[in-house]
Amino acid sequence: MKIWALLAIAVGLVYGALVVAGAAPADTAQSLIQGSLGSAKALEGTMKHFTPLLIAGVAVFFALRAGLFNIGVEGQFTVGAFVCAVVALRMPGWLGLIVGILAAAVAGALWAYPAGWIKAMRGGHEVISTIMLNNIAGQLSTAAVAGPFKDPNQQGTTTASIDPALMLPAIWQDPRISAALLVAVLFVIGIWRWLGRTVPGYELQAAGANPKAATLAGIDAPKVTIRAMAISGAIGGIAGALQVVAYEGRFFAGFSSGYGFDALGVALLAGSNPLILFPSAALFAILAKGSTTIQVMNGVPKGISFVILGLLIVIFAAIRYRKVPVKES
Amino acid sequence: MNDLRLLLEGTVILGTPLILAAIGGYFSERSGVINIALEGKMLIATITVWLVTIATGQPVIGVAAGIGASILFSMFHWLLTQRYSLDPIVSGMAINAIAFGAANFLDKRFTDPDQAGFPKLPLMAFWVFALVLPFLVWLYVRHTRGGLRLLAVGSDPEKARQMGVFPQRTRLMALIATGVLCGLAGALIVSNAGSYVDNMTAGRGFIALAALILGGWRPLPTLAACIAFGFFYQLQIQLQGTQVLGISAPRELWLCLPYIATLVALAGLLGRNRTPAGLGKP
Repeated sequence: MKIWALLAIAVGLVYGALVVAGAAPADTAQSLIQGSLGSAKALEGTMKHFTPLLIAGVAVFFALRAGLFNIGVEGQFTVGAFVCAVVALRMPGWLGLIVGILAAAVAGALWAYPAGWIKAMRGGHEVISTIMLNNIAGQLSTAAVAGPFKDPNQQGTTTASIDPALMLPAIWQDPRISAALLVAVLFVIGIWRWLGRTVPGYELQAAGANPKAATLAGIDAPKVTIRAMAISGAIGGIAGALQVVAYEGRFFAGFSSGYGFDALGVALLAGSNPLILFPSAALFAILAKGSTTIQVMNGVPKGISFVILGLLIVIFAAIRYRKVPVKES
Repeated sequence: MNDLRLLLEGTVILGTPLILAAIGGYFSERSGVINIALEGKMLIATITVWLVTIATGQPVIGVAAGIGASILFSMFHWLLTQRYSLDPIVSGMAINAIAFGAANFLDKRFTDPDQAGFPKLPLMAFWVFALVLPFLVWLYVRHTRGGLRLLAVGSDPEKARQMGVFPQRTRLMALIATGVLCGLAGALIVSNAGSYVDNMTAGRGFIALAALILGGWRPLPTLAACIAFGFFYQLQIQLQGTQVLGISAPRELWLCLPYIATLVALAGLLGRNRTPAGLGKP
């Protein structure tokens, strides 16, 4: 009942905002859909958001199963993208792509490791430490592309671009769908099977659900926590790497447009079922792509998509992720 | 000499909003409510102060409206976390997103590109208030009934309940205090800048949170951390382009300092862990 009230308030707020912005809500909704799904070009743009959101969503989802809020996907994504771009530029060709993606996974894992360690060994909240790591990643990567890794032939703070012919190939033309999507799908299925069918997957979820009970059952909960954070970081790093080799072809300052944060919404919507990551990532991708269209076509400021995002997070969390008070003793 | 004066002035200008926001966070976190939404509250206050002051021509009404908006968001956090037992991290993330989007929306929709200048607030009053506030808060939590209750609820909500304190009520008061202080911090940021740009707070809410953690959730060390962050930030601005010890470090390295210091503090390398025992408990 409460959730329906919340939903009604949210819809009312957005509707009211559209009226205030002087746009007809029905038209706006139409151009949102048109701009994200209406043509091959629009669909390609949505795919460019869908793929990273899906993989980053897997990363957040994975950590959530271990009872960890990995807000740090934003930073792991950035670090992974940067490392991959640097490696792929130094080593052109297939080998460079593979080494770049693997290096990004390692970089992402290393970037997440301190947060896992602090959580497991010192009890410091992983959200605080990952927020700090995100900011450090943003600053250092900006410094790197403004300084030593800057492409001297360009004005902006960016690396050089990878030769488009040497980027990740497409598996479908018109609309062009990159092989990165295939990787993303494999990730979702892989995580689904791993969590559901293997011993480490079971241990991870047990430690996430109740660390005390897991320890009594003979699981080394701190070790599982650190490992889960590192794996989640590795996935986040790969998400960034694929964004470089499949879509952008380079790394630049401010590379992630908040994918790490959106991924939290994606993962919360999915709840405990990884397969729901598909529709939830699609929803966020449509919102991300469509909001650009409504800004141009209907004069609705892009900020409204963040308001919708925030409201969606509240609603999904209210449905899926309610913290049940646990009585100790 | 002139440089020194600039350095001091810059430290105060940059440090005071941090102090206000960090002490705001102090109330929230000491009452046991994890609050990563200081940023969002400051941001919604900046845009409200900006728009209302220009619309009415009265800075007092503008600041009051900004504080009101910040309190509203703070109470939303209380409602979600305490009444509906939503996870405080999720609630905080959502509030930050909503505030970011709403500020962008309101700015793009209502800011008149060729409006007259923004009236200056009595900055000296803000500065004195911000610098004295941590001492007052310290006295408050040590020596008054309300302050001791705040600490009791934040340390062990269940025991506080058994002693006859209502944790939810105490937390509501604490979060209103957070709202007021974040609102003031936002007002100060707009007034310092004299104009509005998108995402005006630019992560300062997180730096305030970092200062709070670095200060071990205690008012006076938090004050010191805020001043230190303000000092290094201003130093970085003044040192730009010059060499320090033979190398010119990129400014981004300086900007990382608060975050690195906080990580080191979280890792327990600066003394014992001082996290309030009841932080995040329902």
